[in-house]
Amino acid sequence: MNKLNMLITEMNSIDFTNRDDITAYLAYMGYREHYAESSLIARAYATANLFKDHKPFIYNYDRILGSINGRYAPCGAYSQATLQHAANVCASYGYMGFYQNIDHFTPDYPTLLQYGIGGMLNRIDASEAAHKGDSDAAQKLDFLQGARVCMQAFSEMVKNYACAARKKGEETQNAELLMAADIADKLAFSKPDTFREALQLVWFAHISFLYEGRYAMALGRMDQYLYPYYKNDVENGVITSEEAVDLVACTLYKIAEKKLMNAPTMWGGDVVNIAIGGLKRDGSDATNELSYVILEAVKRCNIPGPNLSARMHKSTPDEFYDACLKVIGTGLGYPALMNDEATVPALADCGYDIEDCRDYSMVGCIEAFISGKQPPWADGRYNTPKYLEFALNDGRCMRDGVLYGLKTGKAEDITSMQQLLDVFVAQMEFGALETVTIFNNENDRYNRKRYCQPYLSCYCQDCINRAKDINDGGAVYPSVYGLGCMGIATVADSLAAIEKTVFIDKKLTLAQLRDILIADFEGNEELRQELLSLPKYGNNDDFVDKYAVWLLDKQYEIFSKLRTRDGGRVYIAMASNVQNISAGSVCAATPDGRRNGAPMSDAASPMHGMDRNGVTSVVLSVSKPDYTKVACGSVVNQKFTPSAFSSDEKIAKLRALIKVYFARGAQEMQINSVGRKTLIDAQEHPERYSDLVVRVSGFSAYYTYLTRDIQNDILMRTEND
Amino acid sequence: MIERGRISRIQYFSTGDGDGIRTTVFMQGCNLRCAWCHNPETQPLDTAILNYSEDKRVLSGEDITADELFKRIIKDEVFYIESGGGVTFSGGEPLLQADFLSGVAKMCKGRGINVLFDTAGCVPYQCFERVAPYTDTFYFDVKAVTKEDCEKYRCGDPKLVLDNLKRLCLKSNVVVRVPIIPGHNNSKEKIEQIAGNVADAHPSRVDLLPFHRLGAGKYRAMNKEYDYLYTEPLKKSDLEQYVCIFEDLGLKCRIEK
Repeated sequence: MNKLNMLITEMNSIDFTNRDDITAYLAYMGYREHYAESSLIARAYATANLFKDHKPFIYNYDRILGSINGRYAPCGAYSQATLQHAANVCASYGYMGFYQNIDHFTPDYPTLLQYGIGGMLNRIDASEAAHKGDSDAAQKLDFLQGARVCMQAFSEMVKNYACAARKKGEETQNAELLMAADIADKLAFSKPDTFREALQLVWFAHISFLYEGRYAMALGRMDQYLYPYYKNDVENGVITSEEAVDLVACTLYKIAEKKLMNAPTMWGGDVVNIAIGGLKRDGSDATNELSYVILEAVKRCNIPGPNLSARMHKSTPDEFYDACLKVIGTGLGYPALMNDEATVPALADCGYDIEDCRDYSMVGCIEAFISGKQPPWADGRYNTPKYLEFALNDGRCMRDGVLYGLKTGKAEDITSMQQLLDVFVAQMEFGALETVTIFNNENDRYNRKRYCQPYLSCYCQDCINRAKDINDGGAVYPSVYGLGCMGIATVADSLAAIEKTVFIDKKLTLAQLRDILIADFEGNEELRQELLSLPKYGNNDDFVDKYAVWLLDKQYEIFSKLRTRDGGRVYIAMASNVQNISAGSVCAATPDGRRNGAPMSDAASPMHGMDRNGVTSVVLSVSKPDYTKVACGSVVNQKFTPSAFSSDEKIAKLRALIKVYFARGAQEMQINSVGRKTLIDAQEHPERYSDLVVRVSGFSAYYTYLTRDIQNDILMRTEND
Repeated sequence: MIERGRISRIQYFSTGDGDGIRTTVFMQGCNLRCAWCHNPETQPLDTAILNYSEDKRVLSGEDITADELFKRIIKDEVFYIESGGGVTFSGGEPLLQADFLSGVAKMCKGRGINVLFDTAGCVPYQCFERVAPYTDTFYFDVKAVTKEDCEKYRCGDPKLVLDNLKRLCLKSNVVVRVPIIPGHNNSKEKIEQIAGNVADAHPSRVDLLPFHRLGAGKYRAMNKEYDYLYTEPLKKSDLEQYVCIFEDLGLKCRIEK
């Protein structure tokens, strides 16, 4: 019984245009009743109103209820003046942003499932009784009252969905909706007993966060916390795995709602991370049947929103690798493959309990997160190559001459590689301190007693028991800040180029090189070509790889000494999202031969087109740095044509490649199986695809070097696959 | 042992030339000029230059010592172990450099690396004997079996090829590879002819390879005529009709892609 396709058709046939976002109005209606009370309580009522006063929207083919459609009303339903006034009131209460830890969070769904909404309310009551006599009882009881108001409203929201589903189910004789209504009625207070009930409760909670305006709220380890329900249902004949796939798919497809209802921009959708596989809390393999169910469901959805992360470790079954690779081979680009053997020790290094480390999940893209036990994530970018620029130019930007860095001395006075490295480290330390200080200053502006999140706190241990906000000492662990250290390959290649040309071959002095970089190689194209031909990261050449290893070690040293406002760690990430392009646009030419303003190397990957010896050398190079020092995570992009996934035999070869990569301690790989669209784009913009290797039957070749008719040939073959 | 050999190029993570993850060493130089060859740059015994564009010129033909070649092969040892892969010597005709490669293959074998030779088989049998002790598998091309066809398509002496095949199959693990070429052997009659001759040798398997024209860009880059520029590539499904011809003769047969 595959209902997914019907739901997809229905969702895509609805016209979601010409509507106003009324969330501010809904919140305002909560505020206006509670102006006289503390901002914490007023905020709680605003949240409560978002939950219980939005109109539940039910699709005919809903299996799991919950839609963000209630955030919108037809244009004209509320006057613009009304909406503006509501927005003004909301704005006066202030908004927290990404830096203030509001989203990119894995809620503690296991606890919600264990207690149900009623049980959560009981926990709030119990905590209130326990903290009545505390010296700071006023703040604590306020917090708990806020939590209660929100949780009660959440319960009402669930009841409203039950009501709406029953009404629609009766009108249309839809047994599926009537069943969903019964389930929702139960969940409004009671804990779930079946897989379907558990999935429904989690989805209601996820939807509630979307009404609050949160983004990138992860679903965490679904295959773990839903597994007991699934197993029990399968054993009792309540559900089959096929039925479970359809239920999960009908749930996850709703992530597309945000995209359907928003303007179709790159960021118009959502990034809902789901972690499958990996280690259990006790260190044994956590991969189970549900891991495969989720994998299949995500594949059927065929949308970018569910950002699936597959956790791998030494005992991960080969079948799981292969199942993941088959999904990757469809061209979706996920699951991203994560190595627990790197990430778990990296998290343990931050002082977390080892069982919590093994229970990590991902939020947003690849950010490792202690599920339900730490405040929401925050991160920024750190433009590493810029600090090398400062090191070569006495702290000054080579593009505008402004002193952004430290005055560490002129290039004329740097007489050895070691001295240059020391100066570079000093520049990086200064930049790190500045970056983290700016972040902490941003947060200091927010009074944590006023800017509280009692509802979100219910999903984070140990806020309810401590009667403290998630950002004010309630969470088990302090907040963290992640810094995406960009351009590891650009820096490694540049340092190797300096060592070779300046200090070994003595072709030119460091000062001459600096002047050439400032001039963006003008009149020195021959030298630039020479620099480009030197050893590059990604070719398994220690002469350059040693600098990548060195850089990661140094960045760990620098950032692990710094702390967030509440004493949490500053993580490093070897990731750049797409900011390697903007980072490059503000950097002068670099000694690796890169021109002024050109993009930096991507994430932890080698520089585009510089991995000249194939993927095995990339694997051997990129796995050299010590990723057990990278708590946030890293990204290594690899592209394969769909033919690399065309048989079980070939899948097994990819599996072997990745197992070697992980056995050597690398952290992440995400694989693009290049589809038709890219291949056509590569024909139109060959300069962007110079590193795209295609297997061309008996031999392999760079795609862009093949003649047009052969490219078409491959295009044709791709379609046949 | 000959110290230096000449290679065209090395392909890492080669997944179509045998079991597991392999490193394929394309040797420079061939004694045949098969009309459909997709590696024309490997044909000259000295060197060839591929002029893809003004800033993309590739030289085929690099002299290399046995030690250096071995060094480049064992770089990926960890992948061979994990995947059950190894090294494939292809070309060109690798057995033209049998003396040189027997040394390299011996080193590989000593290290436990699986060794595969991909040959067109038109060489004195002594060449096989030089490398056989260190070779796990031979991929042995049989493109045509009549004198007329072989002359027309410039693919060697069929008698020598088939004699070598028979002798080699007695001692070694041999997979016969038959490229199916439109206008030449893309017919039941021709395939039956080939199958009959191959069956006598009892190879462990026969692989059928659909014609493709993915080497056309190389001909252009070498400023050479390519007879098959406008020939439509074959699909896997086009070859299915031939599988039973081999199977009926008691041979294992599969279609490669």
